[in-house]
Amino acid sequence: MNERLIIGQYYPANSVLHRLDPRVKFIGSFAYITMIFFAESLLSWFFAAVYLFAMVIISKVPVRLMLKGLKSILFILIFTCILNIFFAPGETVVFEFYFIKITLEGLLLFAKMAARLVLLIISSSILTLTTTPLALTDALEFFLRPFAKIGLPAQEIAMMMTIALRFIPTLMEETEKIMKAQKARGADFETGGLVRRAKALVPILVPLFISSFKRAEDLAMAMEARCYRTDIKRSKMKELKFQRADYSALVCVTGFIAGLIIFRYF
Amino acid sequence: MEIIKFENVSYEYIRTDEQQRITQRFEAIKQLNLSIEKGEFVAVLGHNGSGKSTLAKLINALIQPKSGTVTVNGFDTSVEENIYKVRKSAGMVFQNPDNQIIASVVGEDVAFGPENLGIKSAEILRRVREALESVGMLKYFDYSPHNLSGGQKQRIAIAGVLAMEPDIIVLDEPTAMLDPLGRRDVLKTVMKLNAEKNITSVLITHFMDEAALAQRIIVMEGGKIAMDGKPAEVFSQVEKMRELRLDVPQITELNYMLKKSGVNMPLGILTVKEMTDELCRLKLRA
Repeated sequence: MNERLIIGQYYPANSVLHRLDPRVKFIGSFAYITMIFFAESLLSWFFAAVYLFAMVIISKVPVRLMLKGLKSILFILIFTCILNIFFAPGETVVFEFYFIKITLEGLLLFAKMAARLVLLIISSSILTLTTTPLALTDALEFFLRPFAKIGLPAQEIAMMMTIALRFIPTLMEETEKIMKAQKARGADFETGGLVRRAKALVPILVPLFISSFKRAEDLAMAMEARCYRTDIKRSKMKELKFQRADYSALVCVTGFIAGLIIFRYF
Repeated sequence: MEIIKFENVSYEYIRTDEQQRITQRFEAIKQLNLSIEKGEFVAVLGHNGSGKSTLAKLINALIQPKSGTVTVNGFDTSVEENIYKVRKSAGMVFQNPDNQIIASVVGEDVAFGPENLGIKSAEILRRVREALESVGMLKYFDYSPHNLSGGQKQRIAIAGVLAMEPDIIVLDEPTAMLDPLGRRDVLKTVMKLNAEKNITSVLITHFMDEAALAQRIIVMEGGKIAMDGKPAEVFSQVEKMRELRLDVPQITELNYMLKKSGVNMPLGILTVKEMTDELCRLKLRA
């Protein structure tokens, strides 16, 4: 129960990465993900991997948790592996058996693809493992703010995310309650095929939806009672503010971008 | 100085069908007159559908009267420009603690109100700390409200109102979903705020022992005020309370039954201590 209640994947620890401004972390991961698509030479790949490994060490998050994220892409990895190895066009044949032909080019292509995926997943894991969902929301609001001019309700989108995060555990608890109540009356959620199980979920969803609407109505009234309005700019208790570490981190990110571009041609 | 004033206020709920035709009208408040002084602690009683929640929403300008005027802190609630001023000066705490907490961190939730008022960051932080301090929840600043008890959540909701520095707090059955311990904590907090900060408190409840703690009790029936007076005055009219389908505190009922069976004692006893004192006096006299 408690295991599931952890929203997002935030891993609380006291590291430099944890303390960084969420906007810097956003920029850092975005830059990293973009740049690994530029990696070409062996040296540039090596550079990108070492950089990321350094980040993992700095974050103080157990490597085990980082690798957990990789599990989810294992299937894609194997699938692309097969596709690339067998069907990639190439000249240099390494192994041939009837219609199966493995080429050096295919192997290389696969290696690159796999490396890219692995680095991508790990880098985004670092972001979500070191930043609370609330801080992520703040950062997102900041990046959406320029779009407010063309009518994008940045403040409201951030508020929606805040409320969604707040209600995830509440609704999960409610689902559990409804399931228990129905089990007590003989409902069966565990046996039967996929269709049967899906059908068994309908009686859970209906009361869940009804109570969510009721909650939404109550919440709207509570928000109004506390002077919530969308026609003015709200202030914030914790303004996002750049510290010295944030500037250093930005320099670091710039250094990485420059480094990768240089190494690309070696 | 009267801080809340109802003058000939009526309010009705209208139910319409898909063609906007009126199918049902229900007059929740009928020609109601009421004034509450600054610093008063008023309990509002009444069975379901007597109009007590509607009364609360009228004070907070969540709804506007159909006729008559509601004046809060000098502001007429039916004037558009006054709405946010009214809501700022009359905070409201609702029944379900889960449905009124907005953020997933206690401190952030308390900051919600002041943030809506556009107050500066440093000042918000000061207010949030002070508000949490006065409900005894400061050490939970960084906690997730999800893991707190019902009573603690309700105190956070009170802190959220306090951070807006209101003159009035309206509590709409704040203890209905709480266990006895949580009820006691919430009530203690309300009484403390009323005594120390002179915040006018309007407590809507259906617990008689809670109402007995107030300075004044208003009993609602059918959208009108049926009784209005000090707890001892209201509860001593046991017959009338029964007529209104309401109970009186156990000790008051005992008091009433003793009196009825011929024991020579005054009516309007509210606490066990008063009762023992009175019985001792009888014994001494005999």
